[in-house]
Amino acid sequence: MTPESLQSIGWIFIKLITLIGIGIYTLFAGIIVRQEQLMAHVLEEGTEPILRLLAIIHLLASIGILLAAIILL
Amino acid sequence: MRQRTFGWTSFALHPKGIRFETQEESEEIILFLRQHIILLIPHIVLVGLLIIIPPVIFPMIFRSLSESVALPVGYMIIGWAFWYVVVFGILLTNIIHWFFNIFIVTNKRIIDIDFVNLLYKEFSEAKIDKIQDISFQTMGILATMFDYGNVFIQTASEKPNFVFESVPKPAKVVDVISDLIQVNEHKQV
Repeated sequence: MTPESLQSIGWIFIKLITLIGIGIYTLFAGIIVRQEQLMAHVLEEGTEPILRLLAIIHLLASIGILLAAIILL
Repeated sequence: MRQRTFGWTSFALHPKGIRFETQEESEEIILFLRQHIILLIPHIVLVGLLIIIPPVIFPMIFRSLSESVALPVGYMIIGWAFWYVVVFGILLTNIIHWFFNIFIVTNKRIIDIDFVNLLYKEFSEAKIDKIQDISFQTMGILATMFDYGNVFIQTASEKPNFVFESVPKPAKVVDVISDLIQVNEHKQV
């Protein structure tokens, strides 16, 4: 194996690890949205939609970064 | 007096516009409590520090890395963006944790809803007539300055001890619950 091909395999490995990490985080962001929905059933309150909006923005940002990572890396 | 409740409040007497899952038709919320909002400050400070880390630390890391390996621009962009999303996530989970950790006193029972973490929550309740002892504790400079503390409630129900942690005006909370116990005793007599 040439040093170039070794380096190329190394970058593929780093890309895979990065994508898995961001993927797991995106899953976590989805869990936050779901849990917020469940808790909103326990407590009905006027300002709860603000939290829901923030949780959804966080999930969308995570998905956006995952997609950007797939394209850019 | 019934007050219109601002959603992010930590202490509301006779709140309006709040309902909880198992609330009965004839049940009225007397007291709605969360941990004092001052307890969110350390998390906000931490997030503030995490926000200023990338402009200071990241260039140093990238510079040291670029001497041995040329780091592609894509990794730098994704690294920065991901860092800020994670910081936002840390702030969000702390706010959700604070927002949904609530203590409710109704004319019939006391309720403790613990949102321990994202995958575990606990709902405990005790009837007012099962309350045996109630006390409070205020400890520390911040607690004294901002008037918050722990309220301890011993009951004869399935869960023997309730702790309303770091709630505002603990003396007032004890007062309200004591009044409720007395009213309940008079009704029973």
